[in-house]
Amino acid sequence: MVDYIKFTPELANDWKSVQTSISHHHVSAHGWYYKHCAKRVEDASTHSQLESKLWIIEEVIKLNINIDRVAILAGWYANFIVPLLIDELGVSFIHNFEIDRDVQYLSYKFNNRYKSQSGMGLGKYKCDIVDVMFDPIGKYMKMGHPNFDLIINTSCEHMFPMRNFTKLNKGFLGNPLYVLQSTDEDKYDDHINCVSGPEDLIQQSDFTEVIYSGTKELNNGMKRFMVIGR
Amino acid sequence: MNNILCMKWGDKYDDSYVEKLKEQCEANCSVPFKFWCFTDKPEKDWHIPIPTTLDEFYDEDRGFFWAYRKCYMFRPDLISGDGKPFPDNSKFLFLDLDVIIHQDLKYFFDLPDRKPWIVRGWWNDIETVKRNYAKYVSTPLNSSVILWNKGQMMPVWDHIKEHAEVIFFTYPSLDNYFAHHWYNPWEEDNGFLRGFPQGDIYSWYKGNIFPDDMKKKKLRDDLMICLFNNSGYSEGDNDGEIKKLW
Repeated sequence: MVDYIKFTPELANDWKSVQTSISHHHVSAHGWYYKHCAKRVEDASTHSQLESKLWIIEEVIKLNINIDRVAILAGWYANFIVPLLIDELGVSFIHNFEIDRDVQYLSYKFNNRYKSQSGMGLGKYKCDIVDVMFDPIGKYMKMGHPNFDLIINTSCEHMFPMRNFTKLNKGFLGNPLYVLQSTDEDKYDDHINCVSGPEDLIQQSDFTEVIYSGTKELNNGMKRFMVIGR
Repeated sequence: MNNILCMKWGDKYDDSYVEKLKEQCEANCSVPFKFWCFTDKPEKDWHIPIPTTLDEFYDEDRGFFWAYRKCYMFRPDLISGDGKPFPDNSKFLFLDLDVIIHQDLKYFFDLPDRKPWIVRGWWNDIETVKRNYAKYVSTPLNSSVILWNKGQMMPVWDHIKEHAEVIFFTYPSLDNYFAHHWYNPWEEDNGFLRGFPQGDIYSWYKGNIFPDDMKKKKLRDDLMICLFNNSGYSEGDNDGEIKKLW
């Protein structure tokens, strides 16, 4: 069972640099500032955020699936999921596709130890600004690189049903496994696609094979649904 | 050829809004122009019937993307009220019905036309805009005034046609869609759309420029146009406050 994140010295250093970046006086090398992101970083660092990511790792381990390359859709700062995938599952490459331009910089800060250093290839973590409901992610994959084994979307409530993603990427992605999470909590404006339960999520995704489906009540009281399949 | 366009559908605004806007344009535009109104009840020779091809994507219960009818204006094959296509050199200035025009609209037709223009709500705090970007709220744009040349907005029309199901599902407002796909709040000069300069257009309900000139419900008649729309309102809401100031 995985019930914690490994707080290594390298991780401590990266997370500290995020705190510096969102502080009031900080301006990045490209002239941007990030102090307005402080609340968002806080929201991405909660008990419930970690719980929902640990849940993924726990179930993938139980299912005994070999995962090497992972795409994360709308992965936000990817502060928890990236170290968990690398440390617990031995994943070699993670590509986060996000729409928020501030996220790219801060997610690289959170995961600086995994980012490509100049002249050192792709690194283990990459983040691109892409709206995955409009642009195929296959466009961002390097020629000759293998397909993703796993596609994670823990933000399904924030976007159009996933069947559109698979339609957009038909022919690009091979036959990856999907881990999808959503909720029935509709009190937030940006929860534009709540589902009634895991069955609803499966239906929205046009899965033909389901290997896991479950529900968990998180620390914040929100009910979370997760399905794994293709 | 300069054209001023407006749009009226449903019961949110009565006919007096269209007549008043036409009157304001005639009194405040020193260059020749034609006035057209897209409407679901065409009766006059300056009326253009609103198409219905996008209606199937609109979910009345959700009310998302409710101002979608404005998108028809961007069709390159737009037909005028006299049944003829608009000439290739046509310029279009769209105005919402709930505006007060203070100054000569010639100003807009003289603006450089390399890119289409839209209202950049300078009353918005850009930090809030960026913080809420992924939440589909706090949009920096306002589609109450748009300026473009014929054909210039064709990529927008094509994009909406191609992704209609996703767009109608995702974006609470047209302004939000514009901000996500055709504007860049992080590099404001680099978007497909360009925001009208500060000090041109202000909001009755929100102010003029953040943070220094934010007094609400204040007329600023040295500026070009005052907007009365309120992004908190949805289709059907209209408090009629503008009528007291006509």
